[in-house]
Amino acid sequence: MADFGEIVDGTFALSQEQIDIRKYGLSDIKASGIPTVYHAGDVVNLPYASGEISTCEAMGLAWGAFSSGITPT
Amino acid sequence: MAKRSGSSFGTFGKPEQFIPKGVTPIRTEFSRGSIPDSIYSSNREAAWTRWRRGFELYCNTVATNNYSYPFDYYIPLPPGTVIPPGSNPPKIPGIFQGFPTTNKELGMHWAGVRVAGSLRFDNVRDQDGDPSPILSVTEDEDYWYVTLSGDWDSSHPLPAPLFIPPVGPIPKQYPINGEILEDRIITVGGTPITKDTIDPTTQKRYGYIQAVLVSTDEVNGILKLQKQGSVEATPDGVFRTPATRPPNVGRYLMTGTRYCCSCQDFTRRDYAYMTGLGQGNQKLFPRTKVAAIKPGRYEVMRLNGVVDNNAMTSAQVNRQMEVVSPSPDYNIPPTITPNSSTVPGTLRDNPGVFRDFGATYLRSTPLPSLEGATSEGMPSYEDYGTTRNPDGSYTITSLTDFWEPLLDELRYCKHIYAMKFAEKVFPPEPSDIPVDIGSITAWEQSLVEKTNKENEKASYALMTRGLSMMDVPPYNCQAPMMMPMSQKLFNVPSTFVRMDGFRMFDKNGKEYNPSQGGSPGI
Repeated sequence: MADFGEIVDGTFALSQEQIDIRKYGLSDIKASGIPTVYHAGDVVNLPYASGEISTCEAMGLAWGAFSSGITPT
Repeated sequence: MAKRSGSSFGTFGKPEQFIPKGVTPIRTEFSRGSIPDSIYSSNREAAWTRWRRGFELYCNTVATNNYSYPFDYYIPLPPGTVIPPGSNPPKIPGIFQGFPTTNKELGMHWAGVRVAGSLRFDNVRDQDGDPSPILSVTEDEDYWYVTLSGDWDSSHPLPAPLFIPPVGPIPKQYPINGEILEDRIITVGGTPITKDTIDPTTQKRYGYIQAVLVSTDEVNGILKLQKQGSVEATPDGVFRTPATRPPNVGRYLMTGTRYCCSCQDFTRRDYAYMTGLGQGNQKLFPRTKVAAIKPGRYEVMRLNGVVDNNAMTSAQVNRQMEVVSPSPDYNIPPTITPNSSTVPGTLRDNPGVFRDFGATYLRSTPLPSLEGATSEGMPSYEDYGTTRNPDGSYTITSLTDFWEPLLDELRYCKHIYAMKFAEKVFPPEPSDIPVDIGSITAWEQSLVEKTNKENEKASYALMTRGLSMMDVPPYNCQAPMMMPMSQKLFNVPSTFVRMDGFRMFDKNGKEYNPSQGGSPGI
Protein backbone atom coordinates (compact mmCIF):
# COMPACT_ATOMS: atom_id res chain seq x y z
CA MET A 1 0.00 0.00 0.00
CA ALA A 2 1.44 3.32 -1.07
CA ASP A 3 1.58 6.25 1.33
CA PHE A 4 -0.17 9.56 0.79
CA GLY A 5 1.37 11.54 -2.06
CA GLU A 6 3.47 8.71 -3.45
CA ILE A 7 3.66 8.00 -7.14
CA VAL A 8 2.08 4.61 -7.75
CA ASP A 9 2.40 4.40 -11.50
CA GLY A 10 5.19 6.11 -13.36
CA THR A 11 6.47 5.75 -16.85
CA PHE A 12 9.63 7.78 -16.68
CA ALA A 13 12.03 4.90 -16.36
CA LEU A 14 15.58 5.83 -15.42
CA SER A 15 18.46 3.41 -15.75
CA GLN A 16 20.40 2.46 -12.65
CA GLU A 17 23.32 4.45 -14.02
CA GLN A 18 21.16 7.53 -14.35
CA ILE A 19 19.85 7.13 -10.82
CA ASP A 20 23.32 6.51 -9.41
CA ILE A 21 25.12 9.41 -11.01
CA ARG A 22 22.22 11.54 -12.27
CA LYS A 23 23.69 11.60 -15.73
CA TYR A 24 21.12 12.55 -18.33
CA GLY A 25 21.49 11.98 -22.04
CA LEU A 26 24.75 13.31 -23.37
CA SER A 27 25.23 15.65 -20.46
CA ASP A 28 28.29 15.35 -18.25
CA ILE A 29 26.53 17.13 -15.43
CA LYS A 30 26.25 14.96 -12.38
CA ALA A 31 24.23 15.52 -9.26
CA SER A 32 23.38 13.63 -6.14
CA GLY A 33 20.01 12.91 -4.61
CA ILE A 34 16.78 11.52 -5.93
CA PRO A 35 15.36 12.53 -9.32
CA THR A 36 12.71 15.22 -9.60
CA VAL A 37 9.27 14.31 -8.40
CA TYR A 38 6.62 14.14 -11.10
CA HIS A 39 6.81 13.34 -14.77
CA ALA A 40 4.17 13.24 -17.47
CA GLY A 41 2.15 10.06 -17.13
CA ASP A 42 2.61 9.58 -13.39
CA VAL A 43 -0.29 8.54 -11.17
CA VAL A 44 -0.30 9.81 -7.61
CA ASN A 45 -1.95 8.36 -4.52
CA LEU A 46 -3.98 11.05 -2.70
CA PRO A 47 -6.44 9.27 -0.39
CA TYR A 48 -7.73 12.01 1.89
CA ALA A 49 -9.04 10.73 5.18
CA SER A 50 -12.43 11.57 6.62
CA GLY A 51 -12.41 15.11 8.03
CA GLU A 52 -9.70 16.33 5.69
CA ILE A 53 -10.44 18.74 2.83
CA SER A 54 -9.65 16.76 -0.28
CA THR A 55 -8.55 18.24 -3.59
CA CYS A 56 -11.99 17.42 -4.95
CA GLU A 57 -13.71 19.25 -2.09
CA ALA A 58 -11.35 22.23 -2.31
CA MET A 59 -12.07 22.55 -6.00
CA GLY A 60 -15.79 22.52 -5.22
CA LEU A 61 -15.34 25.18 -2.55
CA ALA A 62 -13.39 27.33 -5.00
CA TRP A 63 -16.05 27.16 -7.72
CA GLY A 64 -18.84 27.68 -5.20
CA ALA A 65 -17.06 30.74 -3.82
CA PHE A 66 -16.50 32.03 -7.34
CA SER A 67 -20.25 31.88 -8.01
CA SER A 68 -20.81 33.97 -4.91
CA GLY A 69 -18.11 36.46 -5.83
CA ILE A 70 -15.83 35.39 -2.99
CA THR A 71 -12.08 35.39 -3.51
CA PRO A 72 -9.48 33.59 -1.41
CA THR A 73 -7.83 35.45 1.41
CA MET B 1 13.61 55.07 -56.50
CA ALA B 2 11.80 58.13 -55.31
CA LYS B 3 12.73 59.53 -51.97
CA ARG B 4 10.58 61.95 -50.09
CA SER B 5 12.48 64.90 -48.85
CA GLY B 6 11.91 66.74 -45.64
CA SER B 7 11.27 63.68 -43.57
CA SER B 8 13.16 60.60 -42.52
CA PHE B 9 9.96 58.68 -41.92
CA GLY B 10 10.43 56.33 -44.83
CA THR B 11 11.72 55.57 -48.25
CA PHE B 12 9.20 54.58 -50.86
CA GLY B 13 9.97 52.44 -53.83
CA LYS B 14 8.73 53.16 -57.29
CA PRO B 15 5.69 51.01 -58.12
CA GLU B 16 6.63 48.09 -60.30
CA GLN B 17 5.11 48.02 -63.72
CA PHE B 18 2.90 44.98 -64.18
CA ILE B 19 3.73 43.07 -67.34
CA PRO B 20 1.36 40.16 -67.91
CA LYS B 21 4.07 38.12 -69.56
CA GLY B 22 3.50 34.41 -69.34
CA VAL B 23 0.13 34.78 -67.67
CA THR B 24 -2.49 32.75 -69.48
CA PRO B 25 -6.14 32.18 -68.75
CA ILE B 26 -7.11 29.08 -66.78
CA ARG B 27 -8.43 26.52 -69.22
CA THR B 28 -8.78 23.49 -66.96
CA GLU B 29 -12.08 22.06 -65.82
CA PHE B 30 -13.06 21.73 -62.20
CA SER B 31 -10.99 19.08 -60.38
CA ARG B 32 -8.73 18.53 -63.38
CA GLY B 33 -5.22 19.77 -63.19
CA SER B 34 -5.42 20.12 -59.44
CA ILE B 35 -5.18 17.65 -56.59
CA PRO B 36 -8.56 16.22 -55.64
CA ASP B 37 -9.42 16.68 -51.97
CA SER B 38 -6.22 18.63 -51.50
CA ILE B 39 -7.46 20.40 -48.37
CA TYR B 40 -8.48 17.11 -46.81
CA SER B 41 -5.13 15.57 -47.77
CA SER B 42 -3.25 18.48 -46.28
CA ASN B 43 -5.25 18.21 -43.08
CA ARG B 44 -4.67 14.47 -42.83
CA GLU B 45 -0.95 14.76 -43.43
CA ALA B 46 -0.67 17.59 -40.92
CA ALA B 47 -2.37 15.36 -38.35
CA TRP B 48 0.05 12.53 -39.01
CA THR B 49 3.08 14.81 -38.92
CA ARG B 50 1.93 16.35 -35.64
CA TRP B 51 1.68 12.86 -34.15
CA ARG B 52 5.07 11.78 -35.48
CA ARG B 53 6.83 14.93 -34.38
CA GLY B 54 5.40 14.32 -30.93
CA PHE B 55 7.25 11.04 -30.77
CA GLU B 56 10.54 12.75 -31.65
CA LEU B 57 9.98 15.36 -28.98
CA TYR B 58 9.16 12.65 -26.46
CA CYS B 59 12.43 10.83 -27.22
CA ASN B 60 14.38 14.04 -27.01
CA THR B 61 12.73 15.03 -23.73
CA VAL B 62 13.33 11.65 -22.12
CA ALA B 63 16.95 11.68 -23.21
CA THR B 64 17.71 15.10 -21.81
CA ASN B 65 15.09 15.50 -19.03
CA ASN B 66 15.55 19.25 -19.04
CA TYR B 67 13.11 22.11 -18.57
CA SER B 68 10.90 19.97 -16.35
CA TYR B 69 9.39 21.87 -13.40
CA PRO B 70 7.38 19.60 -11.07
CA PHE B 71 5.12 21.25 -8.55
CA ASP B 72 2.35 20.83 -6.02
CA TYR B 73 -0.30 23.50 -6.30
CA TYR B 74 -2.04 24.11 -2.96
CA ILE B 75 -5.58 25.19 -3.74
CA PRO B 76 -6.44 28.41 -1.88
CA LEU B 77 -9.55 28.11 0.25
CA PRO B 78 -12.39 30.62 0.67
CA PRO B 79 -12.28 32.77 3.80
CA GLY B 80 -13.45 30.94 6.87
CA THR B 81 -12.49 27.49 5.63
CA VAL B 82 -10.12 25.85 8.06
CA ILE B 83 -7.88 22.91 7.35
CA PRO B 84 -7.84 20.64 10.40
CA PRO B 85 -4.41 20.67 12.06
CA GLY B 86 -2.17 17.87 10.92
CA SER B 87 -4.26 17.02 7.88
CA ASN B 88 -3.01 16.82 4.34
CA PRO B 89 -3.54 20.04 2.36
CA PRO B 90 -5.68 19.85 -0.79
CA LYS B 91 -3.20 19.98 -3.63
CA ILE B 92 -2.83 19.46 -7.35
CA PRO B 93 0.37 17.70 -8.37
CA GLY B 94 1.76 18.47 -11.81
CA ILE B 95 4.60 19.46 -14.07
CA PHE B 96 5.38 22.36 -16.34
CA GLN B 97 7.34 20.92 -19.22
CA GLY B 98 9.26 23.30 -21.43
CA PHE B 99 9.82 22.60 -25.10
CA PRO B 100 12.51 24.82 -26.63
CA THR B 101 11.43 26.21 -29.95
CA THR B 102 12.86 28.42 -32.63
CA ASN B 103 9.40 29.55 -33.60
CA LYS B 104 8.66 31.67 -30.59
CA GLU B 105 10.20 34.89 -29.46
CA LEU B 106 10.75 33.77 -25.90
CA GLY B 107 12.25 30.51 -27.12
CA MET B 108 10.02 28.13 -25.21
CA HIS B 109 6.61 26.56 -25.37
CA TRP B 110 5.30 25.60 -21.95
CA ALA B 111 3.04 22.62 -21.57
CA GLY B 112 1.24 21.82 -18.35
CA VAL B 113 0.43 18.43 -16.90
CA ARG B 114 -1.91 17.71 -14.02
CA VAL B 115 -0.94 14.29 -12.73
CA ALA B 116 -3.53 11.50 -12.73
CA GLY B 117 -5.24 10.79 -9.43
CA SER B 118 -5.54 14.47 -8.44
CA LEU B 119 -9.29 14.18 -8.01
CA ARG B 120 -10.81 11.07 -6.50
CA PHE B 121 -14.49 10.24 -6.30
CA ASP B 122 -14.17 8.04 -3.23
CA ASN B 123 -14.71 11.24 -1.23
CA VAL B 124 -18.02 11.97 -2.99
CA ARG B 125 -20.85 11.29 -0.53
CA ASP B 126 -24.61 11.46 -0.86
CA GLN B 127 -27.03 13.06 1.59
CA ASP B 128 -26.74 10.05 3.90
CA GLY B 129 -22.96 10.22 3.94
CA ASP B 130 -22.59 7.05 1.91
CA PRO B 131 -19.83 6.73 -0.68
CA SER B 132 -20.69 6.73 -4.38
CA PRO B 133 -19.15 3.94 -6.40
CA ILE B 134 -20.38 3.21 -9.91
CA LEU B 135 -23.83 1.66 -9.53
CA SER B 136 -24.67 0.85 -13.15
CA VAL B 137 -23.75 1.76 -16.71
CA THR B 138 -25.88 2.00 -19.85
CA GLU B 139 -24.68 3.03 -23.27
CA ASP B 140 -25.59 4.11 -26.76
CA GLU B 141 -23.48 4.47 -29.87
CA ASP B 142 -21.36 7.35 -28.63
CA TYR B 143 -21.62 7.53 -24.84
CA TRP B 144 -21.65 5.60 -21.58
CA TYR B 145 -24.13 6.74 -18.93
CA VAL B 146 -22.60 6.04 -15.53
CA THR B 147 -24.96 6.14 -12.54
CA LEU B 148 -23.27 6.84 -9.22
CA SER B 149 -24.58 5.02 -6.19
CA GLY B 150 -26.37 7.28 -3.73
CA ASP B 151 -29.59 9.00 -2.89
CA TRP B 152 -29.78 11.89 -5.38
CA ASP B 153 -32.68 14.20 -6.15
CA SER B 154 -33.30 17.87 -6.92
CA SER B 155 -32.96 18.79 -3.25
CA HIS B 156 -29.84 16.70 -2.85
CA PRO B 157 -27.99 16.79 -6.19
CA LEU B 158 -24.46 15.62 -6.89
CA PRO B 159 -22.07 17.64 -4.73
CA ALA B 160 -19.47 20.19 -5.81
CA PRO B 161 -17.37 20.25 -7.88
CA LEU B 162 -19.53 17.95 -10.03
CA PHE B 163 -22.34 20.47 -9.76
CA ILE B 164 -22.34 24.07 -8.50
CA PRO B 165 -25.85 25.43 -7.82
CA PRO B 166 -26.84 28.76 -9.35
CA VAL B 167 -26.24 31.85 -7.26
CA GLY B 168 -28.21 34.94 -8.27
CA PRO B 169 -27.37 35.80 -11.88
CA ILE B 170 -24.60 33.20 -12.00
CA PRO B 171 -26.01 30.07 -13.68
CA LYS B 172 -25.35 26.56 -12.44
CA GLN B 173 -21.93 25.23 -13.28
CA TYR B 174 -20.38 21.86 -14.03
CA PRO B 175 -16.63 22.41 -13.61
CA ILE B 176 -15.71 18.75 -13.90
CA ASN B 177 -17.24 18.36 -17.35
CA GLY B 178 -14.33 17.87 -19.69
CA GLU B 179 -12.20 15.97 -17.21
CA ILE B 180 -10.70 12.62 -18.17
CA LEU B 181 -12.01 9.98 -15.77
CA GLU B 182 -10.62 6.53 -15.01
CA ASP B 183 -12.17 3.72 -12.93
CA ARG B 184 -8.95 2.92 -11.07
CA ILE B 185 -9.97 3.01 -7.41
CA ILE B 186 -11.27 -0.28 -6.08
CA THR B 187 -11.98 0.65 -2.45
CA VAL B 188 -12.45 3.88 -0.50
CA GLY B 189 -9.00 5.25 0.25
CA GLY B 190 -7.37 2.56 -1.86
CA THR B 191 -4.30 2.99 -4.04
CA PRO B 192 -5.11 3.53 -7.72
CA ILE B 193 -4.53 0.38 -9.73
CA THR B 194 -2.16 0.26 -12.65
CA LYS B 195 -2.62 -1.65 -15.87
CA ASP B 196 -0.59 -4.48 -14.32
CA THR B 197 -2.38 -4.71 -10.96
CA ILE B 198 -3.74 -8.22 -10.40
CA ASP B 199 -7.05 -8.94 -8.72
CA PRO B 200 -6.19 -11.40 -5.92
CA THR B 201 -9.60 -13.02 -6.12
CA THR B 202 -9.34 -13.92 -9.80
CA GLN B 203 -5.56 -13.82 -10.35
CA LYS B 204 -6.22 -11.73 -13.44
CA ARG B 205 -5.40 -8.09 -14.09
CA TYR B 206 -8.12 -5.66 -13.10
CA GLY B 207 -7.89 -3.45 -16.17
CA TYR B 208 -9.65 -0.11 -16.38
CA ILE B 209 -10.91 2.43 -18.87
CA GLN B 210 -10.32 6.12 -19.45
CA ALA B 211 -12.96 8.41 -20.94
CA VAL B 212 -13.92 12.08 -20.99
CA LEU B 213 -16.86 13.32 -18.93
CA VAL B 214 -19.03 15.41 -21.25
CA SER B 215 -22.11 16.16 -19.15
CA THR B 216 -23.55 15.64 -15.69
CA ASP B 217 -27.10 14.91 -14.56
CA GLU B 218 -26.92 16.14 -10.99
CA VAL B 219 -30.48 15.18 -10.07
CA ASN B 220 -30.17 11.52 -11.02
CA GLY B 221 -26.46 11.14 -10.32
CA ILE B 222 -25.57 10.23 -13.90
CA LEU B 223 -22.26 11.01 -15.59
CA LYS B 224 -22.12 10.90 -19.38
CA LEU B 225 -18.75 9.62 -20.62
CA GLN B 226 -17.63 9.89 -24.19
CA LYS B 227 -16.48 6.85 -26.16
CA GLN B 228 -14.54 9.09 -28.50
CA GLY B 229 -10.87 8.99 -27.59
CA SER B 230 -11.45 6.51 -24.75
CA VAL B 231 -8.65 4.16 -23.73
CA GLU B 232 -8.86 0.70 -22.20
CA ALA B 233 -6.20 -1.10 -20.18
CA THR B 234 -7.10 -4.67 -21.00
CA PRO B 235 -6.65 -7.74 -18.77
CA ASP B 236 -3.78 -8.60 -21.13
CA GLY B 237 -1.94 -5.54 -19.82
CA VAL B 238 -2.08 -3.52 -23.00
CA PHE B 239 -3.78 -0.29 -23.95
CA ARG B 240 -6.33 -0.13 -26.73
CA THR B 241 -8.50 2.66 -28.06
CA PRO B 242 -11.40 3.25 -28.29
CA ALA B 243 -12.31 1.21 -25.21
CA THR B 244 -14.40 -1.86 -25.90
CA ARG B 245 -16.18 -2.00 -22.58
CA PRO B 246 -17.72 0.43 -20.08
CA PRO B 247 -16.35 1.45 -16.68
CA ASN B 248 -16.53 -1.27 -14.03
CA VAL B 249 -19.47 -1.29 -11.66
CA GLY B 250 -18.48 -0.98 -8.01
CA ARG B 251 -15.35 1.07 -8.58
CA TYR B 252 -14.66 4.73 -7.84
CA LEU B 253 -13.63 7.19 -10.52
CA MET B 254 -10.58 9.42 -10.46
CA THR B 255 -9.15 11.93 -12.90
CA GLY B 256 -6.62 10.90 -15.50
CA THR B 257 -3.69 12.97 -16.71
CA ARG B 258 -4.77 16.40 -17.90
CA TYR B 259 -2.75 18.33 -20.45
CA CYS B 260 -2.67 21.88 -21.65
CA CYS B 261 -0.19 23.75 -23.82
CA SER B 262 0.62 27.36 -24.52
CA CYS B 263 1.81 26.83 -28.10
CA GLN B 264 0.16 28.45 -31.09
CA ASP B 265 -0.93 25.12 -32.51
CA PHE B 266 -2.92 24.07 -29.46
CA THR B 267 -4.38 27.46 -28.59
CA ARG B 268 -4.77 28.42 -32.25
CA ARG B 269 -3.48 31.82 -31.27
CA ASP B 270 -0.66 33.62 -32.97
CA TYR B 271 1.73 35.51 -30.75
CA ALA B 272 2.83 39.00 -31.52
CA TYR B 273 6.58 39.35 -31.96
CA MET B 274 8.36 42.32 -30.54
CA THR B 275 11.65 41.49 -32.21
CA GLY B 276 12.48 39.97 -35.57
CA LEU B 277 13.60 36.42 -34.93
CA GLY B 278 16.84 35.71 -36.70
CA GLN B 279 17.26 39.37 -37.55
CA GLY B 280 19.36 40.49 -34.68
CA ASN B 281 17.57 42.73 -32.26
CA GLN B 282 15.28 44.42 -34.74
CA LYS B 283 12.23 45.87 -33.00
CA LEU B 284 8.76 45.43 -34.40
CA PHE B 285 5.86 47.75 -33.82
CA PRO B 286 2.99 45.87 -32.13
CA ARG B 287 -0.05 45.94 -34.33
CA THR B 288 -2.87 43.68 -35.37
CA LYS B 289 -4.04 43.23 -38.91
CA VAL B 290 -7.62 44.36 -39.35
CA ALA B 291 -8.47 41.03 -40.95
CA ALA B 292 -7.44 39.24 -37.75
CA ILE B 293 -9.77 41.25 -35.54
CA LYS B 294 -13.10 39.55 -35.04
CA PRO B 295 -15.60 38.77 -32.27
CA GLY B 296 -14.63 36.37 -29.54
CA ARG B 297 -13.44 36.08 -25.98
CA TYR B 298 -10.05 37.10 -24.74
CA GLU B 299 -8.31 37.73 -21.46
CA VAL B 300 -7.11 40.92 -19.85
CA MET B 301 -4.44 40.76 -17.16
CA ARG B 302 -4.56 43.42 -14.52
CA LEU B 303 -2.39 44.25 -11.57
CA ASN B 304 -4.16 46.45 -9.04
CA GLY B 305 -6.69 47.37 -11.71
CA VAL B 306 -4.11 48.36 -14.32
CA VAL B 307 -3.54 46.29 -17.45
CA ASP B 308 -0.24 44.45 -17.09
CA ASN B 309 1.08 42.19 -19.84
CA ASN B 310 4.57 41.59 -18.52
CA ALA B 311 5.94 38.12 -19.15
CA MET B 312 7.73 38.05 -15.83
CA THR B 313 6.41 38.82 -12.40
CA SER B 314 7.59 38.51 -8.88
CA ALA B 315 6.48 35.46 -6.95
CA GLN B 316 4.84 37.84 -4.47
CA VAL B 317 2.53 39.40 -7.07
CA ASN B 318 -0.93 38.18 -7.98
CA ARG B 319 -2.57 39.49 -11.12
CA GLN B 320 -6.26 39.30 -11.88
CA MET B 321 -7.45 37.72 -15.10
CA GLU B 322 -10.73 38.79 -16.66
CA VAL B 323 -12.26 36.98 -19.62
CA VAL B 324 -13.91 39.59 -21.82
CA SER B 325 -16.84 38.31 -23.81
CA PRO B 326 -18.92 40.16 -26.41
CA SER B 327 -22.63 40.27 -26.02
CA PRO B 328 -24.19 37.43 -28.02
CA ASP B 329 -26.62 39.83 -29.66
CA TYR B 330 -23.87 42.12 -30.86
CA ASN B 331 -24.61 42.91 -34.47
CA ILE B 332 -21.92 42.92 -37.10
CA PRO B 333 -22.77 45.66 -39.56
CA PRO B 334 -23.20 44.31 -43.09
CA THR B 335 -21.17 47.11 -44.61
CA ILE B 336 -18.61 49.55 -43.41
CA THR B 337 -19.65 53.13 -43.86
CA PRO B 338 -18.00 56.36 -42.78
CA ASN B 339 -20.32 56.29 -39.81
CA SER B 340 -19.53 52.70 -38.80
CA SER B 341 -17.92 52.21 -35.45
CA THR B 342 -16.69 49.31 -33.40
CA VAL B 343 -17.95 48.63 -29.94
CA PRO B 344 -15.14 48.39 -27.40
CA GLY B 345 -14.85 44.92 -25.94
CA THR B 346 -16.55 43.09 -28.76
CA LEU B 347 -13.55 42.56 -30.99
CA ARG B 348 -10.43 40.79 -29.83
CA ASP B 349 -7.25 42.75 -29.99
CA ASN B 350 -4.30 42.63 -27.66
CA PRO B 351 -1.44 44.25 -29.56
CA GLY B 352 1.99 43.19 -28.45
CA VAL B 353 0.68 39.94 -26.98
CA PHE B 354 -1.39 38.18 -29.62
CA ARG B 355 -1.37 38.89 -33.32
CA ASP B 356 -4.38 36.69 -34.03
CA PHE B 357 -6.75 34.92 -31.65
CA GLY B 358 -7.71 32.46 -34.37
CA ALA B 359 -10.37 29.79 -34.36
CA THR B 360 -10.26 26.27 -32.95
CA TYR B 361 -9.79 22.74 -34.22
CA LEU B 362 -11.61 20.02 -32.34
CA ARG B 363 -10.82 16.35 -32.23
CA SER B 364 -13.32 14.07 -33.85
CA THR B 365 -13.91 10.37 -34.01
CA PRO B 366 -16.17 8.80 -36.57
CA LEU B 367 -18.39 6.00 -35.26
CA PRO B 368 -16.47 5.08 -32.09
CA SER B 369 -18.74 2.10 -31.37
CA LEU B 370 -17.84 0.23 -34.53
CA GLU B 371 -15.30 -2.56 -34.50
CA GLY B 372 -11.95 -1.27 -35.70
CA ALA B 373 -12.86 2.37 -35.30
CA THR B 374 -9.97 4.77 -35.08
CA SER B 375 -9.56 6.87 -31.98
CA GLU B 376 -9.18 10.06 -33.93
CA GLY B 377 -10.48 11.32 -37.21
CA MET B 378 -10.08 14.56 -39.07
CA PRO B 379 -10.39 17.56 -36.76
CA SER B 380 -13.32 19.89 -37.21
CA TYR B 381 -12.89 23.62 -37.65
CA GLU B 382 -14.90 25.86 -35.35
CA ASP B 383 -15.30 29.61 -35.17
CA TYR B 384 -17.99 32.06 -34.23
CA GLY B 385 -21.36 31.63 -35.90
CA THR B 386 -23.77 34.28 -37.15
CA THR B 387 -27.25 34.57 -38.61
CA ARG B 388 -28.32 37.14 -41.13
CA ASN B 389 -31.03 39.49 -39.98
CA PRO B 390 -33.84 40.84 -42.20
CA ASP B 391 -32.16 44.23 -42.25
CA GLY B 392 -29.00 42.68 -43.65
CA SER B 393 -26.96 42.79 -40.46
CA TYR B 394 -25.58 39.72 -38.72
CA THR B 395 -26.06 38.54 -35.16
CA ILE B 396 -23.56 36.34 -33.35
CA THR B 397 -25.20 33.06 -32.37
CA SER B 398 -22.27 31.06 -31.05
CA LEU B 399 -18.68 31.50 -29.97
CA THR B 400 -16.48 28.46 -30.32
CA ASP B 401 -13.17 29.89 -29.33
CA PHE B 402 -10.42 29.23 -26.81
CA TRP B 403 -12.88 29.19 -23.88
CA GLU B 404 -15.69 27.18 -25.40
CA PRO B 405 -14.43 23.64 -26.03
CA LEU B 406 -13.62 21.32 -23.19
CA LEU B 407 -9.90 20.93 -22.72
CA ASP B 408 -9.73 17.41 -24.10
CA GLU B 409 -11.86 18.33 -27.10
CA LEU B 410 -9.14 20.47 -28.63
CA ARG B 411 -6.85 18.90 -31.19
CA TYR B 412 -3.57 17.86 -29.61
CA CYS B 413 -0.37 19.63 -30.51
CA LYS B 414 2.93 17.81 -30.88
CA HIS B 415 3.87 18.72 -27.32
CA ILE B 416 0.80 17.02 -25.87
CA TYR B 417 1.40 14.09 -28.18
CA ALA B 418 4.94 13.92 -26.79
CA MET B 419 3.62 13.72 -23.24
CA LYS B 420 0.99 11.15 -24.15
CA PHE B 421 3.80 9.05 -25.59
CA ALA B 422 5.55 9.50 -22.24
CA GLU B 423 2.38 8.34 -20.50
CA LYS B 424 2.58 5.20 -22.62
CA VAL B 425 -1.00 5.76 -23.65
CA PHE B 426 0.46 5.30 -27.07
CA PRO B 427 -1.45 7.72 -29.24
CA PRO B 428 -2.58 5.84 -32.31
CA GLU B 429 -1.79 7.24 -35.69
CA PRO B 430 -4.46 9.76 -36.54
CA SER B 431 -4.10 8.88 -40.20
CA ASP B 432 -1.98 6.90 -42.59
CA ILE B 433 1.53 7.93 -43.49
CA PRO B 434 1.45 10.52 -46.26
CA VAL B 435 1.68 8.67 -49.57
CA ASP B 436 4.10 11.05 -51.22
CA ILE B 437 6.58 11.05 -48.40
CA GLY B 438 8.97 8.64 -50.14
CA SER B 439 11.26 6.46 -48.05
CA ILE B 440 10.05 6.39 -44.48
CA THR B 441 13.52 5.39 -43.30
CA ALA B 442 15.18 8.33 -44.96
CA TRP B 443 12.43 10.66 -43.79
CA GLU B 444 12.65 9.50 -40.19
CA GLN B 445 16.43 9.72 -40.16
CA SER B 446 16.14 13.24 -41.46
CA LEU B 447 13.50 14.01 -38.84
CA VAL B 448 15.68 12.76 -35.98
CA GLU B 449 18.58 14.88 -37.12
CA LYS B 450 16.35 17.86 -37.73
CA THR B 451 14.71 17.60 -34.30
CA ASN B 452 18.05 17.31 -32.57
CA LYS B 453 19.49 20.23 -34.50
CA GLU B 454 16.45 22.42 -33.92
CA ASN B 455 16.40 21.67 -30.22
CA GLU B 456 20.08 22.52 -29.92
CA LYS B 457 19.53 25.76 -31.80
CA ALA B 458 16.41 26.57 -29.80
CA SER B 459 18.11 25.81 -26.50
CA TYR B 460 20.98 28.10 -27.45
CA ALA B 461 18.57 30.87 -28.42
CA LEU B 462 16.66 30.36 -25.18
CA MET B 463 19.79 30.60 -23.09
CA THR B 464 21.20 33.64 -24.83
CA ARG B 465 18.01 35.61 -25.37
CA GLY B 466 14.80 34.01 -24.13
CA LEU B 467 15.68 33.71 -20.47
CA SER B 468 16.68 37.34 -20.38
CA MET B 469 13.10 38.28 -21.21
CA MET B 470 11.18 35.45 -19.62
CA ASP B 471 11.44 33.48 -16.45
CA VAL B 472 10.56 29.89 -15.72
CA PRO B 473 7.58 28.48 -13.82
CA PRO B 474 6.09 29.57 -11.56
CA TYR B 475 7.41 33.12 -12.12
CA ASN B 476 5.96 33.28 -15.62
CA CYS B 477 2.64 31.69 -14.68
CA GLN B 478 0.89 35.05 -14.80
CA ALA B 479 2.09 35.89 -18.30
CA PRO B 480 -0.82 36.49 -20.70
CA MET B 481 -0.18 33.19 -22.44
CA MET B 482 0.36 31.20 -19.24
CA MET B 483 -2.42 32.25 -16.89
CA PRO B 484 -5.26 31.01 -19.11
CA MET B 485 -3.37 27.74 -19.39
CA SER B 486 -2.96 27.48 -15.62
CA GLN B 487 -6.65 28.16 -15.09
CA LYS B 488 -7.66 25.48 -17.58
CA LEU B 489 -5.13 23.01 -16.25
CA PHE B 490 -5.96 23.37 -12.55
CA ASN B 491 -9.68 23.76 -13.24
CA VAL B 492 -10.22 26.28 -10.48
CA PRO B 493 -11.45 29.85 -11.01
CA SER B 494 -8.69 32.20 -12.12
CA THR B 495 -9.01 34.13 -8.86
CA PHE B 496 -7.89 30.93 -7.15
CA VAL B 497 -4.69 30.67 -9.22
CA ARG B 498 -2.26 32.42 -6.92
CA MET B 499 1.49 32.45 -6.74
CA ASP B 500 1.57 31.53 -3.07
CA GLY B 501 -0.08 28.22 -3.96
CA PHE B 502 2.98 26.90 -5.81
CA ARG B 503 5.40 24.54 -4.16
CA MET B 504 8.15 23.63 -6.56
CA PHE B 505 10.58 20.73 -6.49
CA ASP B 506 14.22 21.08 -7.42
CA LYS B 507 16.42 18.50 -9.15
CA ASN B 508 16.93 16.68 -5.90
CA GLY B 509 13.22 16.48 -5.15
CA LYS B 510 13.48 19.11 -2.43
CA GLU B 511 10.39 21.31 -2.05
CA TYR B 512 10.64 25.10 -2.02
CA ASN B 513 8.14 27.92 -1.85
CA PRO B 514 8.96 30.74 -4.32
CA SER B 515 6.41 33.14 -2.79
CA GLN B 516 8.42 33.04 0.43
CA GLY B 517 11.75 33.50 -1.29
CA GLY B 518 12.52 29.81 -1.65
CA SER B 519 14.80 28.72 -4.44
CA PRO B 520 16.05 25.42 -5.85
CA GLY B 521 19.14 23.83 -4.38
CA ILE B 522 22.42 24.11 -6.22
